[in-house]
Amino acid sequence: MRGDPATPHHVDMDTDVTPRPTGRPATPAQLEWLGRELVAWRAEGLVQDDQADAILRRYHATRRFSLARLLLALGAVFVGVGLIWLVAANLDQLPPLLRFLAVASIWLALLIGGEVLHARHLMLPSQVVGAVRLMAALAFGAVVFQAAQSLQVPAFEPLLVGLWGIGALVHAYAVRGFGPLLVGIPTLVTWFVWQVLWDAPSAFAAVLALAVAAVAAVSAGALHERGLRQFGPVWREVGAALVLAALFTAALPAVTMADFGWSPWLVVGAATSGLVAGAAILLCRGPARLEPVGALLVLAASVLMVLWDAGDNPDVLTLADWVHAAVSVVVYVVVAVAVAVLGILRNSWRLTALATAGLVVFTTVQSFAVFAQIIEGAWLFLALGLVFLGTGYLFDRARRELAATLEGGDR
Amino acid sequence: MKKRLALVIIVQLALVAVGVAPQLSARAAGEEYRVRVAAADPIDPFRGAYVVLAYPDLSRGDGSFSADGGLGALEDGRSGPVYVTLAEDDGLLRATGFHRSRPDSGPYLACDDRDWQIRCGIESWFASQSEARELGQELAEDGAIAVVRIDSRGNAALVGLETR
Repeated sequence: MRGDPATPHHVDMDTDVTPRPTGRPATPAQLEWLGRELVAWRAEGLVQDDQADAILRRYHATRRFSLARLLLALGAVFVGVGLIWLVAANLDQLPPLLRFLAVASIWLALLIGGEVLHARHLMLPSQVVGAVRLMAALAFGAVVFQAAQSLQVPAFEPLLVGLWGIGALVHAYAVRGFGPLLVGIPTLVTWFVWQVLWDAPSAFAAVLALAVAAVAAVSAGALHERGLRQFGPVWREVGAALVLAALFTAALPAVTMADFGWSPWLVVGAATSGLVAGAAILLCRGPARLEPVGALLVLAASVLMVLWDAGDNPDVLTLADWVHAAVSVVVYVVVAVAVAVLGILRNSWRLTALATAGLVVFTTVQSFAVFAQIIEGAWLFLALGLVFLGTGYLFDRARRELAATLEGGDR
Repeated sequence: MKKRLALVIIVQLALVAVGVAPQLSARAAGEEYRVRVAAADPIDPFRGAYVVLAYPDLSRGDGSFSADGGLGALEDGRSGPVYVTLAEDDGLLRATGFHRSRPDSGPYLACDDRDWQIRCGIESWFASQSEARELGQELAEDGAIAVVRIDSRGNAALVGLETR
């Protein structure tokens, strides 16, 4: 049969009779670009008319798909959050056990329903399955909170959020689902930072918690080069956001070592991050193994930034304060450029946007911290604008040159 | 896929059990005690309406009312586990001491003061919006008796409120 043209007998029986567009999906903008290029290629004699038509026929416009995806994701989030809220507000006429059973039934129905729909994926777009899985992951949070409420568990501890995060991650990896992953990673990060600060609150503990979580997330993203590659970008992008957040917090003049103590969960988190980073460095090949190294360097830079105590008096600006601010700006720009370059290499506009947004917020805060004490009003805005222009120019130039060098190296 | 799905269900149910383990243990294996209770506040938009309870006979110091619950502060420069030893007096529990190390025998409450106030997991009573409002008023005017179950490890679960 090898090499024979496909016939209807080679395809599994499918009861879905809805006509579907053939070819690969593309956005209208992509199709417009391709059309312009094909005209040019025809003019240059690179392709014949029939070849150009055949290339165009391989694609179909998919604007409705992206709109459908947006609506499904929004709908799933609203239903999931509404479900958790329902626990709080509208189920109070039911006895506690019945309330728990009601929420657990919804969770089970969504969990099992998502996989039943997935098994019949030929009849449904994958976005619908994704939306149901996302709702199931949010509904698991509702189950955790409802169980706690039914048994009068106090609300002030971070444990419940952590359990929700772990459950969502188990769900994500078991069914290879994006929705549960998008719920699991943020909730787990939220729990970790909250738990560390709950055990031993201090500014330095916050920096360490963010940086340790960043190392773990970036390393997990790199490790996904070895398998389940589709999960890599989510971990990498969350890791990049945490890297920028850790460095931002470390560079704030008010952040010092005061009141710092090692909490058990910070030790566990640091050890786990070290193991994941070590595994990523050992097992990954090429540029991917540099990503955990970069995150570890940011962890070290964040610690050094806090250890370097520029000045005790926030009302008096000393030379040490200026040097501290200048060095932190340089370090932050270097890290932001690295994140932006990673965005180019990984084809992720989100990483580049993240680096740009982080740089804007960081420059603004640092400029206000330094300039606001010596200049006021319009002059402050002028100074801030000049700092933006200078940083933006250097950022863009460094990003372009680094990206060109790295891409040249790849070739 | 069925095996994976079953695994997800089992793991997630186990996680739910971990979240409520101390309260389950106290309800299943604990002994029942009664303790005098006063009330406070409010509503949690995420987790529903509840009444914050204060325990004058378990509180450290002057037993003064605390708007956010809790048994007062230990103020020894440390934070973490706190164990409240208990004795029954005329059918009601009273605190006899506050310790950082676990007592050899009960009854005692295993509490925590990482959130400044000493908290033992019996400071909030979830109820419907209207019930919470009524309870809050009744508790503020007349006080009440809380029925708690405490297991051998000091885990406590609030199982009922008896208004006077």
